[in-house]
Amino acid sequence: MKAVILAAGEGMRLRPLTASEPKVMIPVANRPILEHVVDALVKNDVRDIVMVVGYHKERIMSHFEDGRKFGARIEYVVQEKQLGNAHALATAKERVSGEFLVLPGDNIVDRRAVSDLIQSGACPGALVVESENPSKYGVVTIEQGTIRNVVEKPVDMVSNIILTGLYCLNEGIFKSIDKCVALGEYGLSNAVQTSLEQEPVKPIFSDGLWIDAVYPWDLLELNAAAMESMPVRTGGKVEQQVVLSGPVSIGEETVLRAGTTIYGPVVIGAGCEIGPNVTILPSTSIGNSVTIEPYTTVKNSMLMSNCSIGAHSYVSHCVFGYGVKSQSHLMAGGAEAYVNIGDEFFKVPHIGSIVGEDTNFGTGVVVEPGTVVGAGCKVSSGAKVTRNLPNKTLVT
Amino acid sequence: MCGIVGYAGGRDAQPILIDCLRRLEYRGYDSSGIAVVGDGLHVHKSKGEISALEETMPTMHGHVGIAHTRWATQGKPTTENAHPFADCSSKLAVVHNGIISNFMDLKDALVAEGHVFSSETDTEVFAHLVESELKGDLMEAVRAALKRIEGTYAFAVVSADGAEVVAARDESPLVIGIGDGENFLASDVTALLKYTDRMVYMMDGEVVRLTKDSVTILDREGKKVERQPQKISWNLEDAEKGGYPHFMLKEIFEQPNAIHESLLGRVETLDPEPFFQTGAFTSVKIVACGTSYHAGLAGKYIIEELAKVPTTVQISSEYRYSSVSRENPLIVLVTQSGETLDTIAAAREARKRGHKTVAIANVMGSAITREVDHVIYTRAGPEIGVAATKTFTTQIVAMYLLAMDLATQSRVMGAQARRSMVGQLRNLPRAVQDVLNKADVVEALAKKYSGVKDMYFIGRNINYPMALEGALKTKEISYIHGEGFPAGELKHGPLALISKESPVVAIAIKDHTYEKMLGNISEVTARGSPVIAIGYEGDTELGKYADEVLTVREVPPIFSPVPVIVTLQLWSYYLARERGCPVDKPRNIAKTVTVE
Repeated sequence: MKAVILAAGEGMRLRPLTASEPKVMIPVANRPILEHVVDALVKNDVRDIVMVVGYHKERIMSHFEDGRKFGARIEYVVQEKQLGNAHALATAKERVSGEFLVLPGDNIVDRRAVSDLIQSGACPGALVVESENPSKYGVVTIEQGTIRNVVEKPVDMVSNIILTGLYCLNEGIFKSIDKCVALGEYGLSNAVQTSLEQEPVKPIFSDGLWIDAVYPWDLLELNAAAMESMPVRTGGKVEQQVVLSGPVSIGEETVLRAGTTIYGPVVIGAGCEIGPNVTILPSTSIGNSVTIEPYTTVKNSMLMSNCSIGAHSYVSHCVFGYGVKSQSHLMAGGAEAYVNIGDEFFKVPHIGSIVGEDTNFGTGVVVEPGTVVGAGCKVSSGAKVTRNLPNKTLVT
Repeated sequence: MCGIVGYAGGRDAQPILIDCLRRLEYRGYDSSGIAVVGDGLHVHKSKGEISALEETMPTMHGHVGIAHTRWATQGKPTTENAHPFADCSSKLAVVHNGIISNFMDLKDALVAEGHVFSSETDTEVFAHLVESELKGDLMEAVRAALKRIEGTYAFAVVSADGAEVVAARDESPLVIGIGDGENFLASDVTALLKYTDRMVYMMDGEVVRLTKDSVTILDREGKKVERQPQKISWNLEDAEKGGYPHFMLKEIFEQPNAIHESLLGRVETLDPEPFFQTGAFTSVKIVACGTSYHAGLAGKYIIEELAKVPTTVQISSEYRYSSVSRENPLIVLVTQSGETLDTIAAAREARKRGHKTVAIANVMGSAITREVDHVIYTRAGPEIGVAATKTFTTQIVAMYLLAMDLATQSRVMGAQARRSMVGQLRNLPRAVQDVLNKADVVEALAKKYSGVKDMYFIGRNINYPMALEGALKTKEISYIHGEGFPAGELKHGPLALISKESPVVAIAIKDHTYEKMLGNISEVTARGSPVIAIGYEGDTELGKYADEVLTVREVPPIFSPVPVIVTLQLWSYYLARERGCPVDKPRNIAKTVTVE
């Protein structure tokens, strides 16, 4: 069976982390989200994959190429305008026939979730889960073992069962998509709702892992979940008096200097230089070629490749994009905070700061919990960042 | 990375194996070999590309065989180290892709048992292991041997006594192709698509026996595996290019990662290990051909600025016949393949003259590496497109590393200066990624200018070599007549050529030559010729002088050649594509020039 992965969107609510790459390529446990999806398919022997790409498609294509490194055969189709996921699926119409799987490229799923979808044998079928917060999703009502109705982002409580976006579908869906597109509706849940008139869709429940990353703080949860099952590989050079406890994965040519203490799960990429006397606490992922100077503590954070954090800094519950640089004494702690995304405010129980790629901090900068700092900003020494900064802001 | 193929059927195996092997050449091409079972076991190996194997091998009759193409990551690419490997009795032949991590222990044990080894490779151990386990059934012997090894592998084994190929995989790719009265094996489906579109994928830990009309797969526990073949429906070329229209574009996009690889383990800030002890020398001479020569020219500026050593650059074929001077320079030879004959000859000449020699090469263990005192590998990985892209940028990276090394050893550069340099070097992949993110801007501009016949490239200081390289790229793939000049030379002649029909690409980054470059741009625009300027992001001045502006992220000027050349690579690529040129295989040019 073929699988179609929808990976064309930007993921605007994750800005500024999507400045140069689509949401699906954001590294979680040092591997792109999309790679976790491909992995779950391959582990179920689903190897023929059609990827619908669009926003920064080169990022995806240069990573996966034809899929051979991942045990899959990947074909690409380009969705020129990112209108919606039903429209995205329609661009793959010529590449599929009969029954096929559809997966969103920006959710973390495990082998089990995909296997439940396949093993159920129900086609058309939709993978559903119970959610504590159904109002963000397409909510379904179920009657006599089939889906009766789909309500997109309901205001009133309809049910707590939501669509995950994983489906087993057949060619019939393309007719429904055409109908919806004609009405100006581009969402796949709309098309599924329309298709209910023709053919019943089975709900498929799964105990497998499924996490959606909608907002930047969700990434930390994804990161922690993905690290629970990561294979631990230890390369590099570990100096004396380094303490490694729990699962700690270290890439080749990475140097951990004396007195550094790491409590896993922690994953560190290749060519990093960390220490002396750095403390890294769970669940932290550190990309390639990252430098962390002495007496710095990093806790439950994501530092992407080419970041550099100066001495005596504290980074907690933060997501730093590629190439973020800081001089010494950066204070980026986490706490309960209100985070402003678009024109909404969210109360997040424990959040540090979200920093876009290639932003530079001077010495002794304080970034308040819940702040979103854009890409390519320059913040001078001693400044205190108390509100969100757009891309390329200069703070003097 | 290496490539494996296997065949069991009714046709002559030799031509089929070679044909399949050719399609795996992208996986490596520094040595190759073939084993065919007919009346006994015939093995032939050769150093160099697969064409070298074809030219040297005798006709082998037999319907069963295996073959291998190698990209050395350890051990030299010599005929001895090429696969297949035989056991003591020359009854078995083995090809392998991967690494056996416990091979030293196994080898010691096998030598104690009386086995005789002919090479230094880990693969040969497996041949002897199978031999020692062989009690009639080859598949059982392979399974028993696999239990003793640790590491990653794809193996294929043939025996003189049977019309079968036995293969196994763990973490290295292997796929089975199902034909009519014949079966195939390869590292990659692309090798087999010409012969069959029905494939069975092997899983980790599985072993397979292929005969003319049967395929038997056993899992790790020895249970039989039933797996239906899958039909493959994709185009061969596309597969190898990973969705990109050309290898060149794919390789341009691989550059952030190639630079990361070439820096790996070489940019420690606190206790750097030098490449080599430089000893005493008073100057540096860089010797190279083609694109490598341009990397050498950039190297001159880099070494002179960082290490303060006078540096000259010479074309290999000129150096060979130059007269001996009183100088005793350190000779730096730059060649991607390591097989460029003129450069190898120059290396020999340099040693004859008693100079210390260093090679900057991409291909592990290639010919030049045996001719010099020290080697710095660029680690760009295999490059298929004839136009050098990632191998060029990594050559420049090697120049930074070498210059830093020379500067540190001669105490011109202190520990703090080195730390700050390293920080900047670590930033390079980001600066390149930034250029790639804006590829669509370059594309749109290239479309606009693709109709021209001539194009000139100007730059100053360290970006003068980039002007030359930009011109070379443009002429070799888009067939537009391109020429590069130091911008200050314009008024000494080239200005006479400039007209409304010949756009000028000007590299004008903000360094100490910036004001002069603006002057040169004005000289050109005054004659009505359109100017495409490449400058730093945020430069608001440049747009007032030039017709078009392409920007790269601001980096210290010494590092500017890297993002600048990536911009020019994209520029030449899009020009060529717009003109419908065969980007990856320009007319009359070979990737590696092994003739004088």
